[in-house]
Amino acid sequence: MEAPPVTVMPVTGGTINMMEYLLQGSVLDQSLESLLHRLRGLCDNMEPESFADHELVYLLKGQQGNPFMLRGRRSLLHPTAPWHLRYLGQPEVGDKSRHALVRNCVDVAASHSLPEFLNEMGFRMDHEFVAKGQVFRKGAMKVVVSKLLRVLATGNTENTEPLSLSYLVELSVLAPAGQDTVSEDMRSFAEQLKPLVHLEKIDPKRLM
Amino acid sequence: MQQREEKQLEASLESLHARVAHLKGSLQSFILKLENEHDRLTWPSVLDNFALLSGQLNTINKVLKNEKTPSYRSQVIIPLLLSPDRDEELVKLTEQRVPVFSHEIVPDHLRTKPDPEVEEQEKHLSAEAARIGPEVAQKQIQTLNKLCSNLLEKLNNPRDDRDSESSALRQNKPSFNPADTNALVAAVGFGKGLSKCRPPGSVPPGHPGQPTMSTGPTLQQVTIAGTTGHQAGMGGQVAQQQPGQPGKMPSSIKTNIKSASASMHPYNR
Repeated sequence: MEAPPVTVMPVTGGTINMMEYLLQGSVLDQSLESLLHRLRGLCDNMEPESFADHELVYLLKGQQGNPFMLRGRRSLLHPTAPWHLRYLGQPEVGDKSRHALVRNCVDVAASHSLPEFLNEMGFRMDHEFVAKGQVFRKGAMKVVVSKLLRVLATGNTENTEPLSLSYLVELSVLAPAGQDTVSEDMRSFAEQLKPLVHLEKIDPKRLM
Repeated sequence: MQQREEKQLEASLESLHARVAHLKGSLQSFILKLENEHDRLTWPSVLDNFALLSGQLNTINKVLKNEKTPSYRSQVIIPLLLSPDRDEELVKLTEQRVPVFSHEIVPDHLRTKPDPEVEEQEKHLSAEAARIGPEVAQKQIQTLNKLCSNLLEKLNNPRDDRDSESSALRQNKPSFNPADTNALVAAVGFGKGLSKCRPPGSVPPGHPGQPTMSTGPTLQQVTIAGTTGHQAGMGGQVAQQQPGQPGKMPSSIKTNIKSASASMHPYNR
């Protein structure tokens, strides 16, 4: 199930429809330090932010088509901070020459009653995981290096195990629709991280 | 003869003075940059500054080594007049650094011996050099020259086949695993490899053996409608009585509530 396309949306609020441009890759645990050093040199000069987030993915299964997916994320390091609710659309099938994965993105903050609210609405939690890592910024670009951990007992974030021996590296930019220069900048930044990490656009449907 | 030497001395002093002034200028600007813009500074620009300084030091060395330069060691500077009075000319010449040409500043500014630590090190080095003998010294010089020329050659001739050789060597230690990339992206994208959860506790315990959510939501909707009181049912009813509201977007949420209350409403109206 997909949100209606941009042109049909009634303009009710003042928000522009944001697209997320995404490139993903991974780095093995033993090469993590070199990657972090390189990112500290390339990215804006500030202390890199560490984060530990618990993400819950909710699905609403309609009678037709694909289920509707929403992602709720809370920080384990700042328990009183609001939840972050995110909707990610299907990747835009544009021209193949575009270097990054582009998809519609809606982000809102939510209170701590988000899980109960979503349950009442009819969503069911499909899966959850914990992501721990660091965030770097370069201008509008954001690089997230995170370790994905599997939650062994539902809701218990203390008991986790790593999903693999690698860290996930994601380069993303949030921009209004139609700015294709963004993907050029992302590609040149990704070039600078080779051969440590190969950031490329990976279509999740291919991996299903 | 004397005149020629004097002219040479003057010329070489002029050029030395000019070079030192350049070096001072670039040092000053570099220090200013470090102090004021240190959070905006990038490593390549710092490297540029260092390269500039080293280039200027190089030219100073060349000037000193030039055959036209007379040996400064044979020159002696004798202060002719020392006075504790402030000298405006001197102040202007030295940019406010030396206001008085007096007995205190002369030993510092006109000394010819290096610092005691530097003298110690020089003595140490020359003793070491004398110890190892001329043939060993010559061999060391040759090795150093060879290493430097090898390095220069490598740096000056970037070649693609060299890149492919080195990348072939580096294949032994890959820094990322494409299979891991796919696994992680699949996990983040749609939860592959992460255990699917049972429905959380909103399903009341009075219905044991409730199937997992892979069977559609209608059954669960029934339990909610049944247990959370009449509100859900009423809401569903209201929605049903106003079908096709104008301007509202179709959403699966409303559809679900409608279908649950329509097909399995516990209270028949």
